[in-house]
Amino acid sequence: MSEPERRRKPNKDKAFFDYTMLFIVLFLLCFGLVMLYSVSSYESSLDFGDSAYYLKKQAQATLVGVVFMFIVMMIDYHFWRRFAVPAYLVSVVLVLLVLTPLGYEVNGAKRWLNIGISVQPAEAAKVGMIIFFAAYVCRIGKNVQTLKGVVRTLLLGVPISAFVLFITENLSTAIIIFGIIFMMVFVATPNYKEYFLLGLGIVAVAAVFVVLVQKGVLTSEQSYRFGRIEAWLNPEAYSGTTGFQTLQALYAIGSGEIFGKGLGQSMQKLGFVPEAQNDMVFSIICEELGLFGAFMVLLMFILLIWRFLVVANNAEDMFGALIVVGVMAHISLQVILNVAVVTNTIPNTGITLPFISYGGSAVVFLLIEIGLVFSVSRRIRLKNPGNEG
Amino acid sequence: MGRKRRNTNIQKFTGSMQKKLTVLFFLILAAFLGLTIRLYAINRDNGEEYKKQVLSQQEYDSIALPAKRGEIIDRNGTKIAVSQKVYNVIVDSKSLNDKEGQFLEPTLNILFDTDIDFLYTREELKDFILSNPTSQYRIVAKKQEYETISPLMEKLGNKAEYPNLKGVWLENTYQREYPYGSLACDVIGFVQGDNEGAYGLEEYYNTTLVGTDGREYGYLNDDENLERTIKSPDNGKTLVTSIDVNIQSIVEKHILAFNEEHENEYREGAGSKNTGVIIMNPNTGEILAMASYPVYDLNNPRDITGLDIQVSEEYTTQGNIDIDVNDEKEPEEEASEGVEQVIDEDNSPVSGNTVTAPAGSDIEEVDIAPEKPKTYEEAYEDAKMEALNALWKNFCITTTYEPGSTYKPFTMAAGIEEGIFTGNETFNCTGVKEVGDHEIHCNNRLGHGQLTFSGALEQSCNVAFMDMGARIGKTLFMKYNRLYNFGLKTNVDLTGEALTNTLVFDVNRMVPTDLAISSFGQGFNVTMIQMISGFCSLINGGYYYQPHIVTRIINDDGATVKNIEPRVIKQTVSAETSEKMVELCNNVVSEGTGKTARPAGYRIGGKTGTAEKYPRKTGNYVVSFMGYAPADDPQIVIYTVIDTPNVESQPHARYATLLTRDILTEVLPYMHVFMTEELTDEEKAELDAAALTFAQSSNKTLSENTVSENSVEEEKPDDSVIVFEDEKPEEKKPEYSLDPATGYPIDPATGAVLDPSTGQPIDPTVSDLE
Repeated sequence: MSEPERRRKPNKDKAFFDYTMLFIVLFLLCFGLVMLYSVSSYESSLDFGDSAYYLKKQAQATLVGVVFMFIVMMIDYHFWRRFAVPAYLVSVVLVLLVLTPLGYEVNGAKRWLNIGISVQPAEAAKVGMIIFFAAYVCRIGKNVQTLKGVVRTLLLGVPISAFVLFITENLSTAIIIFGIIFMMVFVATPNYKEYFLLGLGIVAVAAVFVVLVQKGVLTSEQSYRFGRIEAWLNPEAYSGTTGFQTLQALYAIGSGEIFGKGLGQSMQKLGFVPEAQNDMVFSIICEELGLFGAFMVLLMFILLIWRFLVVANNAEDMFGALIVVGVMAHISLQVILNVAVVTNTIPNTGITLPFISYGGSAVVFLLIEIGLVFSVSRRIRLKNPGNEG
Repeated sequence: MGRKRRNTNIQKFTGSMQKKLTVLFFLILAAFLGLTIRLYAINRDNGEEYKKQVLSQQEYDSIALPAKRGEIIDRNGTKIAVSQKVYNVIVDSKSLNDKEGQFLEPTLNILFDTDIDFLYTREELKDFILSNPTSQYRIVAKKQEYETISPLMEKLGNKAEYPNLKGVWLENTYQREYPYGSLACDVIGFVQGDNEGAYGLEEYYNTTLVGTDGREYGYLNDDENLERTIKSPDNGKTLVTSIDVNIQSIVEKHILAFNEEHENEYREGAGSKNTGVIIMNPNTGEILAMASYPVYDLNNPRDITGLDIQVSEEYTTQGNIDIDVNDEKEPEEEASEGVEQVIDEDNSPVSGNTVTAPAGSDIEEVDIAPEKPKTYEEAYEDAKMEALNALWKNFCITTTYEPGSTYKPFTMAAGIEEGIFTGNETFNCTGVKEVGDHEIHCNNRLGHGQLTFSGALEQSCNVAFMDMGARIGKTLFMKYNRLYNFGLKTNVDLTGEALTNTLVFDVNRMVPTDLAISSFGQGFNVTMIQMISGFCSLINGGYYYQPHIVTRIINDDGATVKNIEPRVIKQTVSAETSEKMVELCNNVVSEGTGKTARPAGYRIGGKTGTAEKYPRKTGNYVVSFMGYAPADDPQIVIYTVIDTPNVESQPHARYATLLTRDILTEVLPYMHVFMTEELTDEEKAELDAAALTFAQSSNKTLSENTVSENSVEEEKPDDSVIVFEDEKPEEKKPEYSLDPATGYPIDPATGAVLDPSTGQPIDPTVSDLE
């Protein structure tokens, strides 16, 4: 699509701005706020006596995020390249900081830092990793194509992922961080077979765990994660405990039909789906807007990812392209895993839906990433202005 | 594809990378597609099931809104039974364990900073919450009153100031309260379990009182939108009774005084086995007071302190008086076989009756003991329940007994009504009458000699009444017995009225001795309510009113739902006969055995009764007095029954007449019945001593009447009592020492009890011949 267009006579002075992507991002943000209000108003009025409690906090974070997005957009993304190593170190330090008194627990997991405002360091780490690995892959150049280069790159991603996994006990974010690095390396190297085998290996290991849990060798007493696998295999059997959230989300999805019950008409949000404004927001979208609404939301994400593809493929250089690949990996992984959890396709692990789930840190850092993508896209020189975007 | 870049330093995003990125994009696309299919599959495969599941979960969301149980108020609007809105405190452990339990401590701090009476200590509650993280409904405080709970309620409503108060909510319900405690306990009954009335009005009118619970629930409207609706509870209706709290408390005060006076006097235990008093309006059938002894606290009906629980087989051996519907005997057989032992009132229990009891009569008396319980605990539990049931039951309507001489007016009225007696008959009493093969003694073994018609009643002569019975004949006698409603229920609006159809004679099986003894009220069983209702018809012109307590039913808004008008069931005797009976009964009090029942300053009429209980010759009696006041225009009828007074010598109707007198002395002035009689000096002294000053109708107006405040002031636990404006707050104790057994004054010089009518010392152990 864009290829033939670009073949036309270029106008190098005409700056490119991806209005399509801007529209999609703003649409998702607004849609997210509307859904957040619908989902959270009942519980927040019970808990805080203010039905817009979550909405207000999220709207503030969104505004801050949008400001950051435009600031980052204005800055040439090459500026960040020199901060690649500090970005890595700062990410690690931030994650380690949760062990200090600055860190605090919510819902049993120590994932937050209180530095005047509360921040999830893992969210910051995602941005840091994208910048670091984009720079790192560019730096080692063709070496990345060797097995040694691949292994070394991936090994560099292990410490941060391990910190996130063991210190903040956040398996899903660790998976996502490692997934981002993995996808960036995948794109930067020409091979397929190795990745195919690696993917197969990961699936096989996971399958072994699942079988062991199924046979009762591994139980929830050893780790709550095994309990989640148990609940995933048979949510009805754990409907009162570990399977409750998943099952209620499934009820919500299944009761939505094609066009849903109508915006604001969810019954499951009335105390049945726990913390519906967080991980389970997609189930309420399915209930209120039906399959149609859910498909539309997924379509918006596909469009956004497609824009990332376009921007990356047209990026001025590899650093810019890899940044966009990282952001693309981040968002697509999170959407896929979130929807997979909500539909009980994979075991329950806390992953939020980008732009829509409640979470201030997440939306701010997400919008910073979007700002980076815009920054990359602004460097694209159009040969035929007006046809792009 | 490859873009040309002049700046060769810049690494390019190569074609192969672009290709791989495109592959990645399609992989992502495939994942999205997979999830889309998954979403579709969930809807297709489980959509219907999940939809139902969602709807069925909603149903749990409905909350019952309890209806308020109707009140019971007396004739003046004084509340005897009320339902108080109270609150249960519920704790939701689940939400207190949320967010790392950060709300637990602040919430506990707030909870235990109140006056609420929790079922747990702070530590216990904390342990419970921590060890039951999924519990969402735990009652931690029950039935707290509004005053106690309101500070917490305010804090719960103020989320801004108390953001850490979580997982606590209130549930309202109603608690039955009886402001007067034990007052009229037999009439009122109590509430147990799930708003279920037990005994008395609470049980009889349960469906009227209980109302219908409301419900708050969510439902789906036509557009499948969830809507919430409140169906308000339909509160129970209030019963307006004919009971007068003041009269009731006067009655109970004197019953209690009698029983305390005679407590442990002759044998271990209360002053009597039971004492019952009913005061009724003869012109409407309305019951003004109904009380018995012992009483129990309606607010705590299962309190067993002071209850005599006998865990043994002996416990089941009961006297005749305790026959009730569940424990029936064959009175006909008993009566005809045990007739020789029948002794009427005022006869000495150790009179040396010549006739021996026929063989087998003892066997008749042995109650069949229930199956022996297996363990002591079970036996104790059984005995406890039996003792409680005995305590709860209403003596006045449930217990049957032989009425004795208070039945004599009924015999007489039947004869007058049928024209058999003209009133000019004379009787000759030699002290004994031979009926069939048996000699039946009069109460006066020496004989009353020549008696006029009126004299027969005044002296309560058994021989004369046996003659009357014989002249009436068994057919007519039993026709009237049934006409007076004996053997039938009065259908008074109370639970537990005894059915006495098997406890009266069957005319076809009646032998002459049966007729002879029934003419003076032995051999068949009655209830107090039957006696007083029948007697009312004898003196009110012959109208048999259905006795009743509830006069009006009003709804929650105070509107009358139903008026219960006085209901005449039948005419028992003519107005002329009734007039004659009033005259005859007046003579009993002015000339005969009922003298001691007369309260100072009033003329009353009535009839005494002393009935020997089964087993005969054990010295156990039921003494009673049936009276009415004022004598010329009866406004109230009072019936006093004392079962087995705890005294050495029981057969003295005086115990009943004196109790009646004490009650009437206070009740009549309270009811604004004016004194018509001159007070003797002694009576004045006695009244003064009791600090009772009465209005003289000649020179005082109604509002200036002074009423005894003793009962009203002392027993009034709350302000809802209608305070009569003529009450005097001060209280004086009697300064004159009175004999505790009789109420007669005691000569301070000799310590002897003085007869108030003669001033002569009397010996209380000598049988009172009246």
